[in-house]
Amino acid sequence: MLAIYKKELRSYFTSMIGYVFIAFFLVIIGVYFYFQNLYTGYANFEYTVTNVTFIFVLLIPLLTMRLMAEENKQKTDQLLLTSPVTPTAIVLGKFLAVFTIFGVVMAIICTYPLIMKQYGNVPLAPAYASIFGFTILGGAYLSMGFFLSSLTESQVVAAVVSFIVFLFTALMDGIAGFFPADNKTAYVVFSVILVIICIILYIMMRNLTISICAGLVGELGLTAAYLLKPTLFDGLIVKVFGWVSVIDRFNNFYMGILDLAGIIYYISIIFLFLFLTVQVIRKKRWS
Amino acid sequence: MIEVKNLVKRYGNHIAVDNLSFTVNKGQILGFLGPNGAGKTTTMNIITGYLSATEGTVTVNGLDVFEEPEEVKRMIGYLPEFPPLYPDMTVLEYLNFVADIKKVKKSEKKSMISEIMELTKIAPMSGRLIKHLSKGYKQRVGLAQALMGYPELIILDEPTVGLDPKQIIEIRELIKEFSKNHTVILSSHIMQEVSAVCDSVLIIDKGKKILSDKPENLSMHFGATGSVRLTVKGERDKIIGALSSIERVKSINEQEGFETGTVTVTVSCDENDDIREDVFYALSREGTPILEMRPLRMSLEDIFLKVTQDDEAVPDAGSASDIDEASDLEASSDSSLDNAEGKGEE
Repeated sequence: MLAIYKKELRSYFTSMIGYVFIAFFLVIIGVYFYFQNLYTGYANFEYTVTNVTFIFVLLIPLLTMRLMAEENKQKTDQLLLTSPVTPTAIVLGKFLAVFTIFGVVMAIICTYPLIMKQYGNVPLAPAYASIFGFTILGGAYLSMGFFLSSLTESQVVAAVVSFIVFLFTALMDGIAGFFPADNKTAYVVFSVILVIICIILYIMMRNLTISICAGLVGELGLTAAYLLKPTLFDGLIVKVFGWVSVIDRFNNFYMGILDLAGIIYYISIIFLFLFLTVQVIRKKRWS
Repeated sequence: MIEVKNLVKRYGNHIAVDNLSFTVNKGQILGFLGPNGAGKTTTMNIITGYLSATEGTVTVNGLDVFEEPEEVKRMIGYLPEFPPLYPDMTVLEYLNFVADIKKVKKSEKKSMISEIMELTKIAPMSGRLIKHLSKGYKQRVGLAQALMGYPELIILDEPTVGLDPKQIIEIRELIKEFSKNHTVILSSHIMQEVSAVCDSVLIIDKGKKILSDKPENLSMHFGATGSVRLTVKGERDKIIGALSSIERVKSINEQEGFETGTVTVTVSCDENDDIREDVFYALSREGTPILEMRPLRMSLEDIFLKVTQDDEAVPDAGSASDIDEASDLEASSDSSLDNAEGKGEE
């Protein structure tokens, strides 16, 4: 694991991506820090942090796109998978490497509230709570990007798909607001989502029977639930979309609350997608 | 050392490996031979644990690849068809990384890396980025990678592809050197390579084992054709007449000659017969000197072609006495001429 960690970390700094990521991230945060805190004189660093969550959508794909896609393309996955290293070790090594680069940015940011503290009273607790939340939010995005990268051989595809997915999670709240809250719409929307999932399933597994069966079972369940207890679907769209909306959870941290549910939520996402990545690598053997 | 039993690999309806079984003993070099798409790479990928098998087992030193992959992978060095290289690393960085993931001890690492670089002759390139290396050097770095940690079993998928003739000979020497302490499986679609290096040959086609034997036995079993090719100086009719007078000669087949005033013929007799002496005396009586006489044997390449082209698995070398076949043979043995000379040198 350590060998993979070191190799991955080094490759970020031989291919410029590491420098570009850190520099760009710091520039954007720096600009916001200047206008929000230094120029207008607010002592709350959490405002800056909250305002820059959008850069995850832009920058994380840059960092994660090559993680597995490049190995798949260069066939170096063959070296890794025929060496005495477990897929779990490969995934953990790579994730920790990419998280370290992100961690460099976070470590630098941690000094900003201290800089402000030199010139007045700064509420440090909410500032650091928000930085902590920001870090694990970034971890969740990294993990998702890593997973998407493991599905393809092309870095460009990995980056574009990650970008779209991240954008979707960021806009989820807004999208949910467009739908009427009645149970009939919810039923229809979930049926459509089920069909989309089945299509993705088919594309990934190329097995018509399994995807159709999954679709039928899901649809049957949905219909049964809808007929037996329609109230279950009231406002469900907003609930579910909010639940998937990764950024939404961040609001508590921004208010200075160290929200345990949020922490668990982000860490679960990290582990869920790392687990899925391990499965994708394992599955390669069975293809 | 390694035992493959009833291996089957299916991709949907396509069968890539079909009920393949073989064993390799310690210190042996097994040559895996087959046309493109015969299932060589798939089989190797299964042995190394990169792919799973649909059915069948692979055991290395008594350990099952599917049950104890980590242990088995520790014993195997693998050079895949495309060497798995990181273009942005230098050779030294790459080998360091490989040594780490192959769990080479820290104390041995440095000496092992320099030793392997000497062996594969990549030491002068150690500071270069892999993406700037030529194909031949990339192949050698790939080979160095497979040797890292000195695994008991080394599996090489077409190790000499893209190398120049001198490098090919060097790599073969290296493989032979290694087989003293290691077991080697290598695949190739080049016959001469297998016959130059391997102790035993396994020919597969369409995923099925077609035959396995020692390379020298292969040409002994299938090699004799009983035909002799002659280039004789003198008049055509005289020569043909003299040759026809030999009783055991079954057919005489004239070829286009290259020198003026000479006749080139292929004389066939029974498969196990030797008519060279008779030919010599018959022609010397006529006063027509023999400039060249060469018994026609099927080269490994011919056997390979024959075996993989026929759908019936077992080839029948006796049919080579047929005139048509004999001329086919002629054509292909010409191409294998150079190979035969190559073999002689080694």
